[in-house]
Amino acid sequence: MIWEILRMAVDSLTVNKLRSFLSMLGIIIGVGAVIAIVSVGSGARMQVTNEISQLGSNLITISPGIRRGRGGRISITAADVFTMELAEQLQQNCPSVERIMPNVQTSGLLIAGGNNYQTQVIGVTPIYQQIYNFYPARGQFITDEHEVNATNVMVLGSGLAKELFPDTDPLGQTVKLFVRNRHLLFVVVGVMEEKGTGAWGNIENQAFIPASVLMKKINNRKYVSGYTAQAVSAAAAKAAVGEIEYFLTRYLGDPEKFRVFSQEQLLETISQVTGTLSLMLGGIAGISLLVGGIGIMNIMLVSVTERTREIGIRKALGAKRRHILAQFIIEALAMSGFGGLLGIGLGWLGAAGVAKLGGWPLVVTHSSVLVAFSFSLLVGLFFGIYPARKASRLDPVIALSYE
Amino acid sequence: MLIQVVNLQKTYRMGPVQVHALKGVSFQIEAGEFVAIIGPSGSGKSTLMHILGCLDQPSAGRYLLEGQDVSTVFDDQLAEIRNKKIGFVFQQFNLLPKATILQNVCVPLIYGGIRGRRRQLKLAEQALQQVGLGDRLHHRPNEISGGQKQRVAIARALINNPSLILADEPTGNLDTKTGREIMNIFRQLNKEGHTIIMVTHDQEIAGQARRVIQIRDGLVQKDEVIA
Ligand SMILES: Nc1ncnc2c1ncn2[C@@H]1O[C@H](COP(=O)(O)OP(=O)(O)O)[C@@H](O)[C@H]1O
Ligand SMILES: [Mg+2]
Repeated sequence: MIWEILRMAVDSLTVNKLRSFLSMLGIIIGVGAVIAIVSVGSGARMQVTNEISQLGSNLITISPGIRRGRGGRISITAADVFTMELAEQLQQNCPSVERIMPNVQTSGLLIAGGNNYQTQVIGVTPIYQQIYNFYPARGQFITDEHEVNATNVMVLGSGLAKELFPDTDPLGQTVKLFVRNRHLLFVVVGVMEEKGTGAWGNIENQAFIPASVLMKKINNRKYVSGYTAQAVSAAAAKAAVGEIEYFLTRYLGDPEKFRVFSQEQLLETISQVTGTLSLMLGGIAGISLLVGGIGIMNIMLVSVTERTREIGIRKALGAKRRHILAQFIIEALAMSGFGGLLGIGLGWLGAAGVAKLGGWPLVVTHSSVLVAFSFSLLVGLFFGIYPARKASRLDPVIALSYE
Repeated sequence: MLIQVVNLQKTYRMGPVQVHALKGVSFQIEAGEFVAIIGPSGSGKSTLMHILGCLDQPSAGRYLLEGQDVSTVFDDQLAEIRNKKIGFVFQQFNLLPKATILQNVCVPLIYGGIRGRRRQLKLAEQALQQVGLGDRLHHRPNEISGGQKQRVAIARALINNPSLILADEPTGNLDTKTGREIMNIFRQLNKEGHTIIMVTHDQEIAGQARRVIQIRDGLVQKDEVIA
């Protein structure tokens, strides 16, 4: 019995393939969207989380506060408050802080022989290596001596080294840095290890020089744009943030002048943002499923009308209400279920495409496939019941005389 | 007694207007009879057949089928009576257009709860052979002639061994020669013991029955047994 009804349902759907497909379109798009969104969301989050935890979850960033400018515009105050001395004071007054490093950088044109390259130049102290877990592969990094004496030495990212010195050994070579209509000469003392492309630009193509050189000889300012601190452990990150906030509030007299946040907070923010985004897109997918359901109901109503006579014949031959009900509900379920399967395929393809573009792993969980499929069946059931009930309650005499 | 109808009435309401299609019809039919119902168009013949076939219910009066009062029975129970006790043959054939004729003949078996697809197909095939269509099993209704369609309908009507065969102008859509062939089948069935009630307005066809009930304006005008 159930097989006969199923076969009948498939038969009637294949009679008008284009119409069946168009009616399924809403479900296909809705389910496809659900699969793609969930997959892209978790893939992207996995990627970002990986990168952040590679950096170490005990990193803390200290940056200038956000001030509301005129007319409600948001502007970052380049608070002239962050000095090298303040970094030392923070280090001494915050027991949960293991290391702290000034953030100072510029961009300029590097020239070596016939090759040149426009890139970021980072002012660093030796502890940069421990904070970012990033070490030279050859030669040495910036030393305390370089920093104290403000020596013109430079360490190249591995990619940058290949750009500037494609054929020669960069160690001991001279590089010319053009920045703000001036130029300085540097001696290359090291080349960094390869780390791959990160979330925040290509660190392989950066150049590193002593922070003192950048501040005194290039920027001519004793202020830096912020600090990066490292807590003694990941567990101590929260305590470190509290200590830093407490000290800076007292020292600067204004909690609006700075912002402190840990990688952990950054992670939370990111997952909040992606969560909101998923919810929003999920809502759109839900609406699409709803529209899909209405599409199915519409076509089922048309089908009931078209097949009024058939229903009358079946009733005359002994079909009970539940037989007719089952026939049309199964037809709606077949339509929404098949639409759901097509949607899963479509969503999978879409997610695979986006994952390839974004360079993150394709994550399609069993649960999202299962949820999407059962949801499409549910939509079919819900929107199929009304037309099926209508069909099952037709009066046989009236149905038989329907032209 | 197979059928007893007592003062059967049917009134259709169309807005403020009431149409009295049947105004009080009474008769009895024994098992094994071959009854022709004749009368002018609009006299209530189809309405009567619908009630006798349990497709519709009388507005008043009683209808006893094999002693059971079916005028008080509803919907799914009526469906069961139609399936088990009644075989319909319609003027418009009323076959399912997308199904093969074999599948068409299977339909009453499916709703009758006859289990096993193979058994169903076998029974249907036998029924089709009886009406001379054993070589057309997998044709669809639009691939066979009107006479053949009506044979399929007869096979379908017989498949559940009903107590009563109802035919509403079964030859109305057929030419004279094919109509005679169909009438021969009905006569043969009657000889084999089937009870047949047939609506017609063709005197020659009515003459082949053994009893003629004449209806006019929703009332029985004449009820006579012919030799
Ligand atoms: N569903 C209906 N609604 C209203 N009037 C109907 C309906 N069915 C039949 N009638 C009316 O009942 C009368 C008898 O119709 P019917 O039984 O079909 O006659 P016959 O089959 O003898 O030609 C006619 O006047 C017809 O118009
Ligand atoms: Mg009629």
